[in-house]
Amino acid sequence: MIQDSGASIAFRGIGKRYGETVALADLDLTIQPGEFVSLLGPSGSGKTTTLNILAGLISADNGSIMIGDTDVTHLSPDRRGIAMVFQNYALYPHMTIAENLAFPLQARGHDLSKQAIAAKVKDVAETLGIGHLLARYPKEISGGQQQRVALGRAMVRDPKVFLLDEPLSNLDARLRLKMRRDLKALHQRLRSTIVYVTHDQSEAMSLSDRIAIYQGGRLQQFGAPADIYRKPVNAFVANFMGEREMNNLSGTVVQVGDGLVFRSDGLNLALPAPLNDWARFQGRAVTLGIRPQGVKIGERTDAVQCEAVLRQVEHAGTEQFYYAQAGGIELSGAAAADAVLAIEDRVRLSLLTRELYLFDTASGAALVQGGDLAA
Amino acid sequence: MIFESHSGLLRRLLRGLLSVIIVVAALFPIFWGLMTSLKPTRDIVQFPPSLLPATVTFEHYVTIFKAGAFGFLLNSLLVSAGTVVICLGIGALAAYGLARFEFPGKRAVMVAIIAVMSIPVASLLIPTYTLIAEIGLVNTHIGLILVYSAYQLPIVIWILAAYYQSLPIELEWSAMMDGYSRLQALWKVVLPLSRPGLIAAGLFVVVFAWNDFVVAVTLLSSEETRTLPIGIYNFLGFYGREWGPLLAASMVSTIPLLVVFVILQRYFMAGMTNGSVKG
Repeated sequence: MIQDSGASIAFRGIGKRYGETVALADLDLTIQPGEFVSLLGPSGSGKTTTLNILAGLISADNGSIMIGDTDVTHLSPDRRGIAMVFQNYALYPHMTIAENLAFPLQARGHDLSKQAIAAKVKDVAETLGIGHLLARYPKEISGGQQQRVALGRAMVRDPKVFLLDEPLSNLDARLRLKMRRDLKALHQRLRSTIVYVTHDQSEAMSLSDRIAIYQGGRLQQFGAPADIYRKPVNAFVANFMGEREMNNLSGTVVQVGDGLVFRSDGLNLALPAPLNDWARFQGRAVTLGIRPQGVKIGERTDAVQCEAVLRQVEHAGTEQFYYAQAGGIELSGAAAADAVLAIEDRVRLSLLTRELYLFDTASGAALVQGGDLAA
Repeated sequence: MIFESHSGLLRRLLRGLLSVIIVVAALFPIFWGLMTSLKPTRDIVQFPPSLLPATVTFEHYVTIFKAGAFGFLLNSLLVSAGTVVICLGIGALAAYGLARFEFPGKRAVMVAIIAVMSIPVASLLIPTYTLIAEIGLVNTHIGLILVYSAYQLPIVIWILAAYYQSLPIELEWSAMMDGYSRLQALWKVVLPLSRPGLIAAGLFVVVFAWNDFVVAVTLLSSEETRTLPIGIYNFLGFYGREWGPLLAASMVSTIPLLVVFVILQRYFMAGMTNGSVKG
């Protein structure tokens, strides 16, 4: 169980449409053996369609899929050597937990003795801490336990690829965090390839080796969590990643005297010298983006400065979030938990240069990512 | 508040009273028939009539079994069982296709099934007789079973398709991911979970096949193949106004079905409501 037992997965030009609606457009995606990949996006973005096509539950209109060295495009689900955990767990209600776990081993092609099956079931149940539930029926155990049984049923025949469809979304917040850690630990031990569908960006960030982020049936970006967070390719990705949306200021870059100014609704932001190469974006509708964490109270070097009035403050445990009015624009920022913030105070805000993003307003494409020009 | 609970009580009383009236109206003839079948011949026509027999006798039952009622009973059992097996066997697969697959002409098939259900059996008698005669199955149980199945399949398919649609599709997907083909998933997961639907559909078929007179009397001609309803009809001619054997035969025909219903009634209700709510 320690060796690298996962298989690679490759989507080549996979597409699926329902009538006029494009569910998935020309997907090209290669997943390495043993990699934990999250498919992330809002509902209807194509992530579940990708998973179901990979599982063989729905067929693609065009393109091909490889698992390892096998072309599985036209293989039925039972011949793809993959296991799946569904959002509603899909435990068989007429079977006990032991029978549920044994079910995949009794399928044709395994030829296991009764004793071997029983031993395997016991082994998996012990691993997941559900050994004492084997004689019960699914409706007699809790949601968290059902979740483990569903995982166990997927694990029991050592598949090369695991597909998980929002497996944690029916659990309460605390249990979800615990299961997240358990899943991560399980993956580190099994080293199988895991494809994980979720709409929760923090889940994707904490679990994945790489994240594939979708919108409107198209893959937007595929990369390591830190890269996607730091270098989003467009405004959608930038706003989807992170606990809170970015501040988005639409406007233009104009030359005023010697310097550059970003002109937005009733607000002129003087751009400091390091941003002189932004001159190339003049005459173009752009959107300035910055996460709340990049907006600081007080004078900072390497920052865009402006005057603002505090309108609202929220405490969030380790930090506080505030909303401030600057010209016709509302900016949200983060401050330390012990900072004294009073509503209606006039403050000087610093928008840190290295946290600035610039997007083309029409296409959403990133022009500047975290202070650096996009490649 | 007081007024409300008062009217609520009144409503419950009225509803209870109505139920009692319906039950009595439905069951009294059967009860009366059962009591009469246990009376000696001379007590049956006495005036004024008594509800309960003064002396209990099984002589009428002996009479009809001597006259061949046992054979008719067996024929009825055979034909009913055969019809149920064929209807559920074909119906379970056909309904699965309609419930889970998209294919050209699916709507047309669904509409056709409903349309076929609304054709009265009487108007089908001559054509089906001709058809069965053509293939040489007149006066055989196989012929009768096939005709019954053809009449009952639409309702079976309809009930089962609605029932399947109420099951989460992930269960079948899960079984397929676990290494089973679609047919195996149907057999090992869908059908065990569809038991209420199967029982409801099966009861529809049994009631029709067990009670049918018109089709059977058209297709069957010999004594050996006769089912119970025709057997009873012949007693009517044979014994004239002899109520004893006639009612004994009616009881033999009625009671098995009642027993089956009492045993399976909770599944029947579940099967009907589940299908109708989600389907």
